[in-house]
Amino acid sequence: MIRGILLIIWGWIVLWSVISGRLDLLLRGVFHGLVGVSGVALLLAGVVLVIRHLDRRERVPWPWWSSATIAMLVLLVPPNPSFSDLAENRPQGLPEPPELAFVLPPGQRTLTEWVRLLRSQQDPDLVDGNPVNISGFVWTQRNGPPLIARLTVRCCLADATPAGLAVDWPDGFEPTTNQWLAIQGEMAVTMRKEQRVAVVMPKTITPIPRPKRPLEP
Amino acid sequence: MTPSLEKISTAWAIFQGLLLEAIPFLLLGVVIAGLARWLVPQTAWIQRLPKNPLLAPITGALMGFALPACECGNVPVAKRLLASGAPMGTAFGFLFAAPVLNPIVLASTWAAFPDQPWLLVARPLGAFVIAVLLSLLLVQLPETQLLEHVLLSERRMSQPLSTVGLLERSGGLVGDPIPELTPTQSTRLRASDVLEQSSREFLDLLALLVLGCLIAALVQTWLPRSWLLAVGGAPTGSILALMLLAVVVSVCSSVDAFLALGFAAQVTPGALLAFLLLGPVVDLKLVGLFTVLMRPRAIAITAIAASFGVLIIGQWVNLWQL
Repeated sequence: MIRGILLIIWGWIVLWSVISGRLDLLLRGVFHGLVGVSGVALLLAGVVLVIRHLDRRERVPWPWWSSATIAMLVLLVPPNPSFSDLAENRPQGLPEPPELAFVLPPGQRTLTEWVRLLRSQQDPDLVDGNPVNISGFVWTQRNGPPLIARLTVRCCLADATPAGLAVDWPDGFEPTTNQWLAIQGEMAVTMRKEQRVAVVMPKTITPIPRPKRPLEP
Repeated sequence: MTPSLEKISTAWAIFQGLLLEAIPFLLLGVVIAGLARWLVPQTAWIQRLPKNPLLAPITGALMGFALPACECGNVPVAKRLLASGAPMGTAFGFLFAAPVLNPIVLASTWAAFPDQPWLLVARPLGAFVIAVLLSLLLVQLPETQLLEHVLLSERRMSQPLSTVGLLERSGGLVGDPIPELTPTQSTRLRASDVLEQSSREFLDLLALLVLGCLIAALVQTWLPRSWLLAVGGAPTGSILALMLLAVVVSVCSSVDAFLALGFAAQVTPGALLAFLLLGPVVDLKLVGLFTVLMRPRAIAITAIAASFGVLIIGQWVNLWQL
């Protein structure tokens, strides 16, 4: 019977991670359905085993116990990664952009789309004065000023890749690492490290809670 | 939150991401292994697999097209093949090649690198060569030094007494005699028996997967990836760095091409191919799972030989492409 219970525990954890939205923080959206189906399958298999062996005792190997302990920890301790720390340890190589991303009006571009655009064409003057309406977390770099950033994933958090935009932070504003901000303003061109670069000139900066789906494809 | 607590918190999140992404593929592999056990009587097709030292691994490698799963899903299927008495070369050829030689992985490689057709040829070809060479190498070891002891016992029970001595079978000496299987005898199990065996197998493998994901998450959090990519431009250094990255990151083969896309522009072509070839064969997440198949020495031989083979292929590609 205990085997059935273990399968039910794992099935519930897998299914719960989908239902509760926890998976939005861990995996790319295309995998969520697959994870949900496997959770349901584990639950069903567990229920069948429990019904079949209601009165049977079974010796449980210690690896099953230890993985069940981890399972309970997964259930009880939700993931809370430091996005800034993840961004700091990853190279900045974004996935290929969706085809229509660049035809959006500037005010509707996400942060990731802005980064893709600026990487695809090197002349910052082309976006000078464009309105900006983005949200992201504060990425505190070891060598450089804080950026406003997002993480993109192809698979799961293990391969998260950062996309960061330079911001001309207003005097007196101290960006806090990992804090989520909504920024409205416009693009401007300034000199940094003897290069002309596009930076966000904020008009308003609003602290916001972490979005339900903080990872972008 | 202090920096060390932040790192632990990040490692915990990476662990959950890796685990939740891998569980469906592990389950798929266990289900396919269970279905194979249920639908196809062991003796019917296992006995027909070629036993020729070269044909066996080639057959196994090509069988990968039947299982669209990543490396986690292949372990239970390979275990079932070995336990059922399939030629070892076939089982290992399948184990090492199937994570790449399957439709999903080839499609994702093509989707990630549509402008690099050479990669679409080189990846399956390289995986095939590595799998066949590894199989040929491993079968040189005696079964007792190669296979994990529980699996070895199970395998010997499924082999006819004409090939395995009674004393070599650890079971069957006491109690009821074990009926000899003949090629014509149907040994189809009941569905409930398959569920019993598959659930046990899933929980065994899941415990090892949990361990592998924990190790991968910890190493990945404390080993900055920028260190690995710092040598990206050097031909040999970039190959070694990307091989190490593949082992550490432990991302499943069905999506690793998209990850490789992220640093494709910063590394040499040989390094890119090395990343795509080594990860499906050896990574931290797999080390635990391999312990249900092989003894530690055989796992070490696999890791060293695969790394060496991938390094040579990567160097050769760099010479050809650079």
